[in-house]
Amino acid sequence: MSLKFLQRFNVKDRLLGLIVPLFVLALWQGAVSQHLFSELLLVPPLTLWNTIIELFRSGDLISNIQVSLNRVFLGFLLGGSAGFILGVGMGLSPVINRALGPLVKVLQQVPELAWMPMIILLFGIDEFARIFFIAIGAFYPMIFNTYQGVSGVPEKYHELARVFDYKSFRYLSKVIIPSALPSIITGIRLSIGLSWMFLVGAELFGTESGVGFLMIMGRQMFQIDVVMAGLVVIGTLGLIINTLLKKFEQFVLRGRVSFDGGAA
Amino acid sequence: MTISNKTKAFLGSSIVPLLLVIVWQYVASSGYVASFILPSPNQIIKTFVTNFVEKEYALHIAASLKRVLIGFLIGTVSGFSFGLLMGLSRTAEKIFGPFFNVIRQVPIIGFIPLIIMWFGVTELPRIIIITVAAFYPVTLNTFAGIRNVPKEYFELSSVYGYKGLKLIRRIVIPAALPSITTGITLALGMSWAMLMAAELFIQTYFGIGTRIQLGRDKFNMALVIVGIITVGALGFFMTTIVEQLAKALDRGKIIRKET
Repeated sequence: MSLKFLQRFNVKDRLLGLIVPLFVLALWQGAVSQHLFSELLLVPPLTLWNTIIELFRSGDLISNIQVSLNRVFLGFLLGGSAGFILGVGMGLSPVINRALGPLVKVLQQVPELAWMPMIILLFGIDEFARIFFIAIGAFYPMIFNTYQGVSGVPEKYHELARVFDYKSFRYLSKVIIPSALPSIITGIRLSIGLSWMFLVGAELFGTESGVGFLMIMGRQMFQIDVVMAGLVVIGTLGLIINTLLKKFEQFVLRGRVSFDGGAA
Repeated sequence: MTISNKTKAFLGSSIVPLLLVIVWQYVASSGYVASFILPSPNQIIKTFVTNFVEKEYALHIAASLKRVLIGFLIGTVSGFSFGLLMGLSRTAEKIFGPFFNVIRQVPIIGFIPLIIMWFGVTELPRIIIITVAAFYPVTLNTFAGIRNVPKEYFELSSVYGYKGLKLIRRIVIPAALPSITTGITLALGMSWAMLMAAELFIQTYFGIGTRIQLGRDKFNMALVIVGIITVGALGFFMTTIVEQLAKALDRGKIIRKET
């Protein structure tokens, strides 16, 4: 029995979920109408909505979203594949594990953001620095989950592979990867999620494009509606990415339980 | 078998770092790379020592620790209460859960430009960021822990006539404790990570992040690396302490259950 937030609620329950958002909206609108805060600090919800639409229409938003997504993709590709390869290596070979495991654990103690000034010193504030930073964020969940999955492949499977004389590539693709798949997929999901988080960090360090750039500009020009619009966009995209990844996970792992049962 | 397995494992794991340091020292002292890009390990140790001899560095560390502690405490207490509320009442879960889950999707760092505009470049936005970072994992794990309390416990407690506060204190919290402590450990890690965001993006005079930023501005890589090591080591110590405390708490609980 899985215990998750947002279990399938019926209609009445879904309506209950609307109470807080509506309350916040009402409070927000009320604060604006009562002029509790200056217009510079809090714009009415409707203005925010119009700003988002406006940014969409002008194409600013779309192009910046593309840049950001591109960065996340490249960063994930770099960090995720490095994590995957090292994770498989560590999972298969005790020597590699002993050599790299402690080092990775030590490096992991450093908050990812602390690396950014160093990366900037090395590469300057350019595209590569941002992608490299995102890659660091993507690296850790990938390496740990891949390692966990690969090192957890049952001994029986290894024996079977020896009997069938599966070697190198076939051994990996037929035995190791399929068996470690649930862990690897979890790694991918967490890895992309963190890439999205660190994208925002990378862009706040200074950039001339991307969703983060929109927010920096908005802050500098004191356009709070643009800053809030950026926040809404980042949150919405994060939500969409997470939902898609969960669906992807479910899709890839469908029928897993019966498969495992059959093999055991 | 003169060398025990443990020593062997230790030797094995120290080969790569040792090699790295040797290659590093060699490259740095060969002069191929400018020292502000790649300071030698020797230089870093020197910077480390001078930094720690200075009284100022202690002030930076103290400022960071204080920030994290405040944010972590507020976030943990509020997260625990919120998780407890949602865990105990399905209605509360239905009311707050969806909103909480949507807000949670926004990367915390994304809030920084907004809260700077609201509160200015002051201590408050820094604390808020750290608090939020601690709040999420504690809420989620408290909630999950309570929902995973076996039904039999509740049945038993109704036999004993436990109700209200007594039920929460005697049954719910002890049963959910492992999950709650996991949440608190995660929260500390998250607060520590977001401390860096708070100090790097919201300029401040004191903090380890400030020191790292200073190293970057002065093109002093040794300073940057010393800062990184400080952050990593402190984070490690704090997490270890909290983990040990959590273990001790859980162990105490098991013993009480047996007697």
